Amino acid sequence: MTLPRRALVLAAAAAPAAARASSLACSSIANTGEVHLVGNSFPAVAHIAAIAEGCARPGFKVVFKLTPQARTETEQAFGAEGRSPFDAALVSMAVFSNLYARRQLQPLSDLVQKFGARYKLEERMLVRVDGEVMAIAFMQNTQNLYYRADLFAKHGLAVPTDYAQMVQAAAVLQGHEPSISFPIAQGFAKGFDSGTEFTNILASLGGRFFQPGGALPAFNSAAGVQAVATMRSLMPYMTPNVLASNSDDVVNQFQQGKAAMGVLWASRASRMDDAAASKVVGKMQFAAAPAARAGGRSAAHLWWDAAVLPRNNPRQREAAFHVLMEGLSEAAVKSGNDLGLWVRSVYEPGRFGTGLALARSAGAPVWPSEPFFSLAHAEVGKLLPEALAGERTAQAVLDAAAAAYQRSATDKGFIKARVTA
Amino acid sequence: MKLRSFAGFVGPSVFLMLALLALPMLMTAVLSVRNCALEMELVTVQQTGPFGAHDVTTQRAQVDATGRAVQTCQWVGLDHYRKVLGLDTAPADNTTAGAQVNAQINAQTGAGQPTEFFSALRFTLLYIAATTPFVLGGGLALALAMNRVTQRLKAVFIAASLLPFIITPVVGALAIKWLFRDNGLVPHVLGGLGVQVFWMAQAWSAQLLVILYGIWHVLPFAFIVFYAGLQGVPQDALEAATIDGASPWQKLRYVTLPHLMPLVVFVLMMHLMDAYRVFEPVMVLTQGAFTTSVQYLTYHVLLQEDNPYKASAASVLTIVGIALLLIPLLRKTWNEQRRGG
Repeated sequence: MTLPRRALVLAAAAAPAAARASSLACSSIANTGEVHLVGNSFPAVAHIAAIAEGCARPGFKVVFKLTPQARTETEQAFGAEGRSPFDAALVSMAVFSNLYARRQLQPLSDLVQKFGARYKLEERMLVRVDGEVMAIAFMQNTQNLYYRADLFAKHGLAVPTDYAQMVQAAAVLQGHEPSISFPIAQGFAKGFDSGTEFTNILASLGGRFFQPGGALPAFNSAAGVQAVATMRSLMPYMTPNVLASNSDDVVNQFQQGKAAMGVLWASRASRMDDAAASKVVGKMQFAAAPAARAGGRSAAHLWWDAAVLPRNNPRQREAAFHVLMEGLSEAAVKSGNDLGLWVRSVYEPGRFGTGLALARSAGAPVWPSEPFFSLAHAEVGKLLPEALAGERTAQAVLDAAAAAYQRSATDKGFIKARVTA
Repeated sequence: MKLRSFAGFVGPSVFLMLALLALPMLMTAVLSVRNCALEMELVTVQQTGPFGAHDVTTQRAQVDATGRAVQTCQWVGLDHYRKVLGLDTAPADNTTAGAQVNAQINAQTGAGQPTEFFSALRFTLLYIAATTPFVLGGGLALALAMNRVTQRLKAVFIAASLLPFIITPVVGALAIKWLFRDNGLVPHVLGGLGVQVFWMAQAWSAQLLVILYGIWHVLPFAFIVFYAGLQGVPQDALEAATIDGASPWQKLRYVTLPHLMPLVVFVLMMHLMDAYRVFEPVMVLTQGAFTTSVQYLTYHVLLQEDNPYKASAASVLTIVGIALLLIPLLRKTWNEQRRGG
């Protein structure tokens, strides 16, 4: 996964100052020994890592591992029979759901009780399950509609609020705007991207992923077929390479002025004005992702990222908590304000930070938290391109994905295994 | 050499091979016939966070007296193998609703059709068949050409030729993707000539792209091995052939190639093993669309299905596949060794 250049530059510029400031703040940490942390190599996490590592001093070592494989490494470490090599991790809410379901997380209520005031922890940062604090949220994300305000004004188009309107606007642009061959750019790549779009649209249509009260699949339904049809209705207005287009490719199409609208992660908004890479500086605007049907809720989901501690390594829990809280402090958020959509109230959303409010006001729900959801999401993402490419019908592909999901969920114990005579 | 001396020399190597190769393979085989799952319970919890509070009906692991999640492991025989090969039927849930879903799924999809694995195997074999001749032929041609270049230029050419092999596969694949994707250099140049190709839009071009990457990435390895081999071709034999009136082609065929043949077999074996596990270009160039390989499925099972036991079965099948591919070459090498050739 590549990193936004502008954001990396900002992170690099902010890190030394933040680290110096943190070394002063960290002076109250009296712990000794070593603390090992892991997180994804995003600019915001890199910023937190620089501050956390700034807490090191003679006799107290802080090592923060930044890696694109953070999810895998965290799940393997937290699930190890022995002691986790990491004392803490920064994870997405999808990973949190898996770790919590496996009972691999330490409750943090006592630490929050003891040190919450020192670090000015806000209630909305505390991820509680039945009252027990299990994680400290620090960052949010969602999907927004990106659109070329200049082209919409030129052709007298209204900002679409549902996908039917989006298709109509795309048809106008494809017919009348010579600079745009493929007006829509959206991540439909096989795997995570297409699975996520299907999830967004299915939820907006009111469809269910699972049967109520269990883990049996329900996405191979009429709503599921309609979700696939909605995705296919966009494809005549998208590059033919769409089944290999991930978020990086969509950003590239926007930056090169080759696409006029599409749904993309809110955290990528600032890259539209990266003068070193973008030809559309100042031309891109943002709105809530369209609904899948007129009057419906936005076809997007709300995400958060949080800090968690493993159950299988409580030896340095207090020290790990301290360095993490320094990395998530008010000062840290202020010094890295534009690196992410922060949870803390001191965060000042600028032109590129409005995505979350847009999505929430348009009714976007929270990303599914069932621990078996990632299995279903993976199977849909793997097989959906066959339906999008027209190789198989939507119903056949969704049924195949449901069958594959059911096998993997049975292997993992989420669905009761076959009772044999 | 005395047996004691022989054992002293080869012992450390044999130990390392057993510890680092044989033992992990054995453990993989053991894992592949087991399955461990947490004992889950249905719960409704209230979760609060940045987006407010909401009740969630979900599952979580049951815990024992010490607070550890309860896990059940069992022998599953060849179940995982059947699942990887697509030879199983959908698992039947013991609830009425589950049974209905399964019956519906089986009826509509014909579950048990071995399509996915064999489709991946078909592309993997196509990749091997398409890249191997170019890797061997291109590597040899490049080595022969380099052998004729003046000494001063050799260092520069060798360094340039090796670049694709030195670059890590993911970085190399990304560079190639950026050349071929929308707005990339290749579509731009072809567009200027009136040819418009969307390389990731259909099976033939997506597969061609992965194959081209494979040739570009591996050919330098074959080249450098063959080039090293060319330095050892006996000059007296070549001179004798020249005196006898042999043409350049005859010298290549009857003197140079026989000398290089052990290296050709070596490069071929290495390439077959690597090519059967093709993954990075598939993941980076096309994200697997139209180009699902055997290794892509293993990756999916291990990291997306999060099932190391089933992934072990996929790994064992990969080893079996590679072994089958290598049998003719291993037999040839074995026979040559027995003949002392």
